[in-house]
Amino acid sequence: MADWERREGYDLTGRRALVVGFATPAGRAIALALAEAGADVAVASATMDGDEVMAAKRASRDVAKLGRASFSQGWDVTLPTNVQVGMRQLVKEFGVPDVLVCNADAPLAKPLTKTGDAEFARVQAVNLHGAFHAARSWTRELGAEARGRLIFVTSLLGERGLRHQSAYAAAKSGVLGLAAALSQELAPRITVNCIATGWMDWTPGRGGDDPAENLLLRFIPMRRFGTADDFGALAVLLASEASGFISGQTFRVDGGVANHL
Amino acid sequence: MTPLPDRLRLDGPPRKVAVVTGGSRGLGREMARSLALAGAEVCIAARTATQLEAAAAFLAEECGREPLTVVTDVRESADCERLIAAAVERFGTLDILVNNAGIGDAPGRGKAVWELADGDWLDGIAVNLHGTFWCTRAALGPMRERGTGAILNIASGMGMRATPQSPAYAAAKAGVISLTQSVAAAVARDGVRVNCITPGLVAQSPPATEEEAEAIRQRGRFITARRLGEAWELGPLALFLCSDASAYVTGANYCIDGGGLAGGIAPTGWAVDEVEASANG
Repeated sequence: MADWERREGYDLTGRRALVVGFATPAGRAIALALAEAGADVAVASATMDGDEVMAAKRASRDVAKLGRASFSQGWDVTLPTNVQVGMRQLVKEFGVPDVLVCNADAPLAKPLTKTGDAEFARVQAVNLHGAFHAARSWTRELGAEARGRLIFVTSLLGERGLRHQSAYAAAKSGVLGLAAALSQELAPRITVNCIATGWMDWTPGRGGDDPAENLLLRFIPMRRFGTADDFGALAVLLASEASGFISGQTFRVDGGVANHL
Repeated sequence: MTPLPDRLRLDGPPRKVAVVTGGSRGLGREMARSLALAGAEVCIAARTATQLEAAAAFLAEECGREPLTVVTDVRESADCERLIAAAVERFGTLDILVNNAGIGDAPGRGKAVWELADGDWLDGIAVNLHGTFWCTRAALGPMRERGTGAILNIASGMGMRATPQSPAYAAAKAGVISLTQSVAAAVARDGVRVNCITPGLVAQSPPATEEEAEAIRQRGRFITARRLGEAWELGPLALFLCSDASAYVTGANYCIDGGGLAGGIAPTGWAVDEVEASANG
């Protein structure tokens, strides 16, 4: 029984977070939003891709500039041992994170018959296996009594279909299933939620910003693509002490697309 | 404490203006508190004047500004028009509408389909669904005119999962979720966002007696979170959906239900009623 003590939804002072996955700007936006709310924030890339590792390092430096502790690692989330060892080292140097945000993301847009075995496997490995590996390693480190917040960044393609997205949609809907199951298994200590993005300004092949020219944009009720600024506050809320009764849910930040698609 | 990020602030200038129906107690009062603390001018509406005055005193004490109170029966279209007009007259505009007014049955006390009289059905739909529509339609006038606004509807887990009782309440709340989607699609291009919060089982106020506390504990055993929600827990989520921090969110239904809807024991109390019924023979 909780004590009816109102808690702050947007203050993470004294909390420790780990954000995994910097291939999209969502990782950086969330890391900085958590830091601005007062959390110390460690970061890890989801792959050893040079650009992603550098993006993670830059995010870590910018967290430090805000006066928070940070720690940066290069992970390959497709390899369970790599994640386990990375997490162990991170715990030693930075401490056990109270919050894990998994933003591992590898897109693929290809017709079914052109999607190769290795491509399909890679998309599952980064998006879905990566989420599983990160969640498992973190939960092991968290200990049996500790409370935590687990947040997956997913896509509306986890709930809706689109041609040429079979591999990606399968992986992202897998993350939704993972989150729903973990929300039950890890309750009540750990809440598990998803933030589902729509078409963002970094989505591959999204086209231009003029609705007259870009048919895709006309399908988005808000007539614009989402930006990294559009879910920082939501991530902070889901990471906070005030979100203890929110679990197993997917929060769409999609300009209203999934509402009518 | 870290300061609230700019996009969550409602203190302008000019201050955002929020109307909260069912604002005299429970979830409504807590959401009004969160909006007022973020800087909004708040207008609370409810049927009972004495409760409204008590809530106004609470909000003034917590937030340092007097809210406007308007006695309103949301079943009446004319009352809803008058409410919106009163807020606009007092504060000059309207930015936020929280459609929270609703009446549910006490846990386990709802009537089954065959017991429901015409009046029960009509009243359940009127207060829980009609009120949301009347207030929304009235608020869209000033919001669409200015090309900005946020409407937040409060549904219920009973609108998403079945229980054997309270069919009018459940149908009305499912209607609120659907109405959220329709209105969101209709006004997205006007700059108005419309979203929904679906609470699971949430205690409206702190238990006044040990008996009440025990009842809340017992019901909480069946929820994934192992407890009931507390009304204040809706405040921060409501602030997100009513502020610019959610500028890219519309037509969405955000559930706060202790994990029940994701696959655990339904947050509607169905399981509790079943267990209690079998325990009582």
